[in-house]
Amino acid sequence: MLPEWIELGRGLCYAGAGLAFGLGGSGSAWGIAIAAHQCAGVLREKPELFGRMLVMLALPGTQGFYGFIAAILMMTQTGLIGGSVLKITLGTGLALFFVGLGCGLALFISAIKQGEASAAGISLIARRPEAAGRAILFPAFVETYAVVALLATVLFIIFLTQPLALKSLGI
Amino acid sequence: MISRLPNVPQWGFVSGRISSLEAYFLPREFFTGIIIQERIDDVIPHLQDTFLRDYLAPTMVWGDFSALSDRCFYDIAISIRSDCPSSIPADIFLLQGDYLNLSSAFSGETRFPFPVGILSHEKLSAIAHGDFADLPKPVVEAGGFGEGGVCEVFPGVINAFLDGAYLRHLLTLAQGLGSEMIREYVHDKVLAAIVIILWRAVKQGIPMKRYQQYLLALDEFTEVIAELAGMQNPETWQSAIGGRIGDLFAESIELEMDDQISDFDLRVTNHLTGIARNGKLQTAGPERVFAFLSGLLVEMQNLKLVVTGKLNRIDQGVLKQRLKDCYV
Repeated sequence: MLPEWIELGRGLCYAGAGLAFGLGGSGSAWGIAIAAHQCAGVLREKPELFGRMLVMLALPGTQGFYGFIAAILMMTQTGLIGGSVLKITLGTGLALFFVGLGCGLALFISAIKQGEASAAGISLIARRPEAAGRAILFPAFVETYAVVALLATVLFIIFLTQPLALKSLGI
Repeated sequence: MISRLPNVPQWGFVSGRISSLEAYFLPREFFTGIIIQERIDDVIPHLQDTFLRDYLAPTMVWGDFSALSDRCFYDIAISIRSDCPSSIPADIFLLQGDYLNLSSAFSGETRFPFPVGILSHEKLSAIAHGDFADLPKPVVEAGGFGEGGVCEVFPGVINAFLDGAYLRHLLTLAQGLGSEMIREYVHDKVLAAIVIILWRAVKQGIPMKRYQQYLLALDEFTEVIAELAGMQNPETWQSAIGGRIGDLFAESIELEMDDQISDFDLRVTNHLTGIARNGKLQTAGPERVFAFLSGLLVEMQNLKLVVTGKLNRIDQGVLKQRLKDCYV
């Protein structure tokens, strides 16, 4: 496959996919690190609380997976994986690029903020272990917006690539 | 863009530690529960719920309780400081003990009442033997050292000299962090300390000019000190002090002569605890450390008050009245 084979529209689409998983993954790593430092400090005094804090620690990691899902969907819908390669117009490519960028930004910021919310929840658990059930709600609310971003991204990718799919089938 | 706090990981770690330790803070009811105990030995089971539990031994002598509480506070503060990216929040609380040790050193003593904070006991011993090379900068800047570093401060005013240096040192530390909450706390603490020093001088009939000499220049407080020193009647001081500290002063001066300063001190401590409590709202950062140490200091002071009060058979009502507001 020669480099000139990738036309501008397709290039923009994959750049968007890269931003989606790149920003999502970076944000997740950052968010987990914020929560992990707080968690390590708590464990220094109360190691028995590890089980209660594990979910809080893992929650900011979901954005990385959401970014990965968005990128994979772009690749499958455009035929890069498992199908015939479709021609993508410049307009569609540009739209997919911004869908990927928007998704990536939402995931990046929500992952960091979720890390901070998890850290606050970890502080609460350290002081009042019986409040673990309520503490998990703080990062869970932040998660909502990462899920909404993923949903919007999935819908955009499906509907933006639908005419291409129909065209390829000759309909 | 996301967070402007430098050294987030280190502050996060130490704040996590603090979150765990904060669970051991005790409410006011705990202390009133100790006060109503009939026998001093009945207090011991209650102390098992405090930060002191690791320091209690069957061989403990009640007379050492105050030193034991100080050691507990110092151990925790120094341990927290070692985890912090900046030593300033802990240093602000350790500084007072250092200056009391320094006061002993200036008197030529080589046994110091407080554990090591910023100044090691070796340096203090050197100072006690007349070697002033390792004095903290605010002490050197206060003057009083002639050619070859010879101390020229008259021994009778050495405490006033060190009080001035201590307050200047506190202000310098607070400026170093760039935290609005810590600056506000230290500002009010320094202002209240100035008022108490001058108020005591007036009550003891000591000329305030002598204090003024060693307290000045004290940044933004220079004008206030000069103004207070010019007014011999404390009843006219409120407007010169100003702000919340001025209001607290006005409330205290209404009381009986003997209770005025101790009541003002109590009101100021409660006001400062109120400021420090804001640090609890932060997930990670220097304010969180500062607030915790402020709460720990108040808890140790309350413990010392109730235990020594019980030992000296002080009236329950008086002890309850003197209890400081708790952090939780």
